[in-house]
Amino acid sequence: MTKPPLPAWCDAAPDAAFTDPVDCAAQASKFERTVSRRNLFEYLACAFVIGVFGFGAFRAAGDGDTLMAFALLSTVIGAVVVAWGLWKRASNLVRRAEDACLVHLRRQFEHQNRALRAVPLWYLGPLVPGLALFYFAEASGVAEQAGWLAGIEEIALRALISVLIFAAIAYLNHWAAKSIERKIEELDSLA
Amino acid sequence: MTTRQEQLYRQAGDNFAPAIARLARAVERDPEKAHDLEQEIHCAIWSSLARFEGQSALKTWVYRVAHNIAADHVSRSVRRPRQVPLDEIEALPAAQNPESEAAEAHALAQVAELIRKLPPLDAQVIVLWLEGEKGTDIAQITGLSASAVSVRVHRIKALLAQEFALPEIERVES
Repeated sequence: MTKPPLPAWCDAAPDAAFTDPVDCAAQASKFERTVSRRNLFEYLACAFVIGVFGFGAFRAAGDGDTLMAFALLSTVIGAVVVAWGLWKRASNLVRRAEDACLVHLRRQFEHQNRALRAVPLWYLGPLVPGLALFYFAEASGVAEQAGWLAGIEEIALRALISVLIFAAIAYLNHWAAKSIERKIEELDSLA
Repeated sequence: MTTRQEQLYRQAGDNFAPAIARLARAVERDPEKAHDLEQEIHCAIWSSLARFEGQSALKTWVYRVAHNIAADHVSRSVRRPRQVPLDEIEALPAAQNPESEAAEAHALAQVAELIRKLPPLDAQVIVLWLEGEKGTDIAQITGLSASAVSVRVHRIKALLAQEFALPEIERVES
């Protein structure tokens, strides 16, 4: 330790004291409750999708629309996979704050990079089969009456918008992951 | 909680509580959030000390935890200022309270404002330097190379020299 360059800086907060460990335990459980609540909302959203689409699949199967029932069931399976991905990623967070700041920051960046890169795989990918089957079922329904050209026309715009939205999400995540990789390279040059 | 953990926590509190309070207030302008951050750092130190087996000096351990938690807090903030690397900053930014009566307090507020604008590692080096830590210790705490610490310390010194009379900076030995 050397003489502080700005003594006035070190004069601040002379009476500060550490928090009582009992309060730390209370704060840790408060933090855990916050995380649990956030996770609960995510799982409820998945449960909503599963419930609505599951009911839709049941109704479609009852009406004899096997293809649509299969499409909605695929979406349900996709939502289950997304929920599993959320659970797996949320459970992977380990905090080791005692590592050197550079190591800690790099690990945070790597974690974000992995999550962003994996978005197409665990968040978009599982929903693609259900969505594709849904549009196919709609098109084939129209095609039975008016031919495939009319069926394709029926879904073309909505399917294109869906593809563009999925592509945009994938691209934005890829772009964000690339910028994080540049930050990691910068960090490595400082070690 | 083991007795050893409790002893270490008490020892850390006796030695570093004011420095941690200053760190929290430097990175978080809102006093209430700064207090919460301070507590979060204390609790992170408390739980981390269960893993402390003398791998480093207690000071290095405590500062690492404190600065990492502070950096996590900044990265979580939704409304944070745009970060500007130290080498792109020409002068101390204006503080949020320009009516501050004491010129020195105002200048210190400007320093805190600068810290809030910097990327985590630049901010960590500056706060540790302001606490009077040696370059070698700063390198050990942050994981930066000695030369990277040296460059940052000299930049901040040049910036602060416009406002304060500063002592000569210790050279960081590699």
